[in-house]
Amino acid sequence: MADKDSATIKRDTSSALRGGPAALTSRQRQVLVRLLRVAYPHDSFPDGPYERTADAVVEATADDRRLAATLGPDLDMLDTICGGDFLGAPDEEATLILREYADEPYFRQIRGVAVVALYDDREVWDLLGYEGPSFDQGGYLHRGFDDLDWLPDPRITEFDGEPRTEMRTPEEDSR
Amino acid sequence: MTTHGKPIPQDEPVVVVIGSGAGGGTVAHELAAQGVKVVVLEAGPYLTADDYTNDEWPAFNQMAWLDMRTTSGSYRVARDFPNLPAWIVKAVGGTTTHWAGATPRFMAHEFAARSTYGEVEGANLLDWPVTLEEMEPWYDRAEKAMGSSHRHGRPPLPANNNYKVFANGAERAGYTYYATGPYATNAEPYDGRPATVQDGFNFQGDKSGAKWSTLVREIPRALESGNAELRPLSQAVRITHGPDGRVDAVEYLDADGNLHRQATRAVCVAGNSIETPRLLLMSDSPSHPDGLANSSGQVGRNYMRHLTGSAYARFEQPVRMYRGETMAGIIADEAVHDPSRGFVGGYYMETLSLGPAFLASFVEPGSWGREFTRLMDAYAHTAGMWLVGEDMPQESNRITLDPDVKDQWGLPAPHVHFDDHPNDIAMRRHAYRAADTIYRAAGALGVHHTPPYPATHNLGSCRMAADPADGPLNGWGQAHDVPNLFVSDGSVMTTGGAANPTLTIVALAMRQADHLCELLRTGEL
Repeated sequence: MADKDSATIKRDTSSALRGGPAALTSRQRQVLVRLLRVAYPHDSFPDGPYERTADAVVEATADDRRLAATLGPDLDMLDTICGGDFLGAPDEEATLILREYADEPYFRQIRGVAVVALYDDREVWDLLGYEGPSFDQGGYLHRGFDDLDWLPDPRITEFDGEPRTEMRTPEEDSR
Repeated sequence: MTTHGKPIPQDEPVVVVIGSGAGGGTVAHELAAQGVKVVVLEAGPYLTADDYTNDEWPAFNQMAWLDMRTTSGSYRVARDFPNLPAWIVKAVGGTTTHWAGATPRFMAHEFAARSTYGEVEGANLLDWPVTLEEMEPWYDRAEKAMGSSHRHGRPPLPANNNYKVFANGAERAGYTYYATGPYATNAEPYDGRPATVQDGFNFQGDKSGAKWSTLVREIPRALESGNAELRPLSQAVRITHGPDGRVDAVEYLDADGNLHRQATRAVCVAGNSIETPRLLLMSDSPSHPDGLANSSGQVGRNYMRHLTGSAYARFEQPVRMYRGETMAGIIADEAVHDPSRGFVGGYYMETLSLGPAFLASFVEPGSWGREFTRLMDAYAHTAGMWLVGEDMPQESNRITLDPDVKDQWGLPAPHVHFDDHPNDIAMRRHAYRAADTIYRAAGALGVHHTPPYPATHNLGSCRMAADPADGPLNGWGQAHDVPNLFVSDGSVMTTGGAANPTLTIVALAMRQADHLCELLRTGEL
């Protein structure tokens, strides 16, 4: 019964202008990866997810020519503020610097892309303990949807005593 | 253009249903089953179980209504998601394809909000022109059609991990009225649909068919009747009327942007609470200068989105909230009108789970740093609940046509303005505290209060009102100004109630369809 028509989403993007993705120097890219690590610090995460998230950020700049042009200089600025080396700054200092720039458009836009790209990453799912797609494995029906054993099994049916009071007013108690 | 069902000529005046979700799909099925010829225009594509994916982000891009919309107001969605005021579906089956499945009924006093709550400053409260007593047989029919668990002999769903935390906390916190339903997903096979495999993907389209939606029930049955034709990828853009004041056609665009015109005998608009008023506003004419059926000036006003808010709690032990039916857990104790709590109306608490990408996007929008990643690191040990309750209708919360922004067709984008009412804020604060109490009682290490998401419950905006001055529709969802124009979705709701709205939308659509058939039979339409 299904036809495979798929609607193309043509959103109004007149406020932005499509172009090529940002051309970052290798230093700028390293700063971007470091920025992502400082913004989303997970001690258990290796570099891979942050590298892939950086790719997603660069790719997304193609939707906004202005951002594509300013991303590199904005990343350079982080180096400048850190006395030349954002990569070498201690985590705490790097975090404080990012706090100063929390509302800057470039940092907001990076976060907008990163928060999806980082946590939609299969390796990250494993690290967080999320098992994802399940239908082709028969769902979670026989794979633990009810395996929580540190609490007693609760009632699943509705309360069979007095019906619920639906209205209480100062004058009267009525259903 | 690919069509489905028995072809109906465009110059044959039939009932045109705009939208195929809870309201549109139901009204189309009921009419077709009673022998009435129906054309269903659906703006989105025909996606089925095979198309759906157990992956929340691709599913979102596949199903969500992402056409341009703009937003303003004091609510956080305006800042965090300025082009996504609502998270609803653009596909055959509408938002029933991504609804979770909770089916509580509205309560008697919620149909009489103005009389019960009295004058609430800044709120535009009104009694419904329908009572619970009148609705009860329709609720019965809707629950049977949807296969609500805990009702009419349908068994309850089992407890999933998230529910075990939720229900234990509820019991220890002194709550009484909790259960795994009512919930319109099969615990055992029913009505040609299988039992759930607890795959955990409710908002992405159900691959198994265990969950009720108009995609799996009403639409195919309407098409099988031989009286209905479904046209997907058909965006209604204007309803026209004749000199007699009756609507006579619906103009719509196909996937390539070609304009078509379907002659009508009557029209049922069911585009959800943003597109429905938008279409009426776009259908202005010299005799309806402020939009079709808008002599009251109330089309687009009194938009409601329910209280909403969520609580995510971290535990020492694993929960794995994502396994199993997402919302099969309801606490009803706070769904009571008890003004001693400092607000009118009430709210439900319901289990909820999001995958990592959605949780990261919505748990505290814009947040980052160690505080944020601590929430995400606890993912497997997190339990979640949604807080859903009655929000106040306000005239200024409204859908208008954006004068500056166009959609992909060059038509004015809908603009959604929403400010929280002080009653909404007081209720949300109370609900967050109740969630804290429940989760702390179950041993939570911490509870995070998440602000409202883009609206999944979209209500009001074309309210039913006994007096034509108060709202565009009468108690049948029929336009006061235009006798053969009906609204069949949640837009008709006079006030919002605390309960999830889908069951009530379906019950109202069934009732409306019977009334419409009667009008057609007696020649009034």
